[in-house]
Amino acid sequence: MSRKPKQIAIYGKGGIGKSTTTSNISAALAEAGYKVMQFGCDPKADSTNTLRGGEYIPSVLDLLAEKRRVDAREAVFKGFAGIYCVEAGGPAPGVGCAGRGIITAVELLKQQRVFEDLDLDFVIYDVLGDVVCGGFAVPVREGIAEHVFTVSSADFMAIYAANNLFRGIEKFSNSGGALLGGIIANSINTDFQREIIEDFADKTSTPIVQFVPRSLTVTQAELSGKTTIEAAPHSEQADVYRALARHIAGHEISKVPTPLSPAELREWSARWAEHVVQMERTERGERARPRVVA
Amino acid sequence: MAINLRTPQAETRDQRLGTITQWQGSARQLAQDSTFTYACGRDCGPGGRRLCELSSPYSQASMCAEQIAVTNATIIKDTVVIQHSPIGCASSQSFTSRYSRDLAARRGWKPEDPKSICTNLSEQDMVFGGVDRLAQTIREAYARHHPRVIFVATSCATGIIGDDVDGTARQLEEEIGIPVVALHCEGFKSRHWSSGWDVIEHGILRRLVPNRPTEKRGDLINVIHLGGPDVFSPLLNPIGLKVNLVMGGNSLERLADLSTAAATVTMCFVLSYLATGLEQEYGVPEIRAPLPYGLDATDAWLRDIARLTQREHLVEAVIAAERERIAPELKRLRGLLAGKRGFVAAGAAFAHGLIADLRELGITVDDAFSFHHDPTTDSGDAEQDSLGHLVQSTGDVPNFTVSPDQHFQAHAAILRAKPDFVICRHSGSMAILAGRMGIPVLPIFYSNDGLGYEGLITIGRAILRVLPRRRFYAQIAEHSRFPYQDWWLNETDPYALSAEAAE
Repeated sequence: MSRKPKQIAIYGKGGIGKSTTTSNISAALAEAGYKVMQFGCDPKADSTNTLRGGEYIPSVLDLLAEKRRVDAREAVFKGFAGIYCVEAGGPAPGVGCAGRGIITAVELLKQQRVFEDLDLDFVIYDVLGDVVCGGFAVPVREGIAEHVFTVSSADFMAIYAANNLFRGIEKFSNSGGALLGGIIANSINTDFQREIIEDFADKTSTPIVQFVPRSLTVTQAELSGKTTIEAAPHSEQADVYRALARHIAGHEISKVPTPLSPAELREWSARWAEHVVQMERTERGERARPRVVA
Repeated sequence: MAINLRTPQAETRDQRLGTITQWQGSARQLAQDSTFTYACGRDCGPGGRRLCELSSPYSQASMCAEQIAVTNATIIKDTVVIQHSPIGCASSQSFTSRYSRDLAARRGWKPEDPKSICTNLSEQDMVFGGVDRLAQTIREAYARHHPRVIFVATSCATGIIGDDVDGTARQLEEEIGIPVVALHCEGFKSRHWSSGWDVIEHGILRRLVPNRPTEKRGDLINVIHLGGPDVFSPLLNPIGLKVNLVMGGNSLERLADLSTAAATVTMCFVLSYLATGLEQEYGVPEIRAPLPYGLDATDAWLRDIARLTQREHLVEAVIAAERERIAPELKRLRGLLAGKRGFVAAGAAFAHGLIADLRELGITVDDAFSFHHDPTTDSGDAEQDSLGHLVQSTGDVPNFTVSPDQHFQAHAAILRAKPDFVICRHSGSMAILAGRMGIPVLPIFYSNDGLGYEGLITIGRAILRVLPRRRFYAQIAEHSRFPYQDWWLNETDPYALSAEAAE
């Protein structure tokens, strides 16, 4: 009997740096000697690109589109440091049902005991974080991931998505679903951004597990189709990801979050928006530079 | 590969067994292709080739896994089935109610309407999710009927929106204190309704069969059947075995006894998921000998049961006595049936069994219509290759059609066969079709009729009852019209419309 891998789901709004963060966590864990699978749950199927030199891999649902009987192992590819890469995949934009796609793909791997057979230490789900329907909630439901982390910047839209995710987790926590491990605060470079995200974390009783600054190193690594861990192993940024991976590896206890209600969230963001406007005015006033009008 | 009971959803038989629903050719070829594709995988002798499925441009009517799962859950006593679905999915429950009462009458139970509730999902539930309504329905079902177990059957609708049925079931189970068993039977998951058997058997194995390792009983044998009267006890009691008859209407006590038995037999390998699971989880051996249709197969079946339950010293006398008992009547039947041509329409292993019975009675069977085909079984044991066994022991069936109960294809197949009679399951569709074509028909609703030594007599006599009704059926045919154009009315190739082979 193989051991049970630690299963972690990382959610975040599209474009927030979720796949970049997830891939770097996977890479750092693999570098530390763990056996890791990264499972991309986004119809774009690009979660694992930087683990495979920028290459796209055929997804589980690509296989299903070709034939009725699927050997899920055919959708598992080895990437950087032996990381097993899987993409759920999904339909083309505007057709079919991406949520059902995730249900089908996850179920196929579970039924065929792919996780057990590979004798993994970690399965990391990288999930499109708007949680718009039941399918996107599958990784947080009973029997799949135990811990959820959310990648969020100080951008309001990203925080909305995080709060929505918290609502999902709160809902499923009654029926044995995954609990919240914390927020990975991404692209945080100014004190102000830090204040916003800290305030949100405070309001929702959620720990921030790591601050990840925006960095050119990451962009350069991505452009070369690699994670920062692989492309710039000695960089400061790589050490940030390593610290994050260590935190996640050691993380044991997650909690039920206390999301803000839609009204509370509106009020909260309005308050911060006022701050932002205030600050910009002050900034403009200080500089007193005339605008160039074309 | 072993079946996976750790996940709440059963893997479909399309995926596990490579089940197909459309094919035609000779039975020999089908058996060969199945073995080639799923047993040896490479070159396993001359004539080996990959099993390819045909594709038909349309489907007239069929059913889905949900109906099988729901019906067979509903007829388990002291339970309530909740269909978490739009109301249309519940239409088949009128059949279940009739079926349940009929079963009760045949088994000497008090006839009762089975308890079933539908969550009646609407547009609103599709948009906002239906789990709250499900939770409320579970509470209501418990308050109204005080069942000992509640089943929750999913539907296509809830499968697509991803309602968390497992989580809700678990939560309510804690609240009301009885097992709430989720049955994942979305119709779109499998092309064949028989996947519904796997779903209900998966639910039973996971939740309703406690492990009782200290209560093993050497004299108890599980019999998994499709439903109907108990024809097994008369056959097995004489070798000192008590029958635990399950599926097709049973009690929770019988299910709880499953893990204590000395062995399990299935009357049809289509239902063998439960048997394989019992062997895998509780070490209750599954009898894999070919099914007991025809004299030799019944002998071999009884011997295998005796071997596994240490009753070899008793079995030969029973076999000899049974053979002797039926010999005169069998001889009479063979005399009357010799030279008749029969057409068999039934599901997979059961069809193979009926063909063997008819051939034992001296009837010619060159044409058969199977509702699906499983190229292998969950045990993966070649012993359970019922089609291969049929061909080896009784010869080829030259026109073997696999079709999911499609009328237009059955019409062509029957026209090609020109049989003296049709013997079939799915009486609502196949029997009516044959009757309207003017052919005497023997519908078999309860599929235990042809089993064992007595089964030969039962089936033989029943055929003799329908054969003289030619004029009646001719009258029916005269007043029947089919919704086909002339060219199809004369077509004798069920797959004439099939364009290309599909993967």
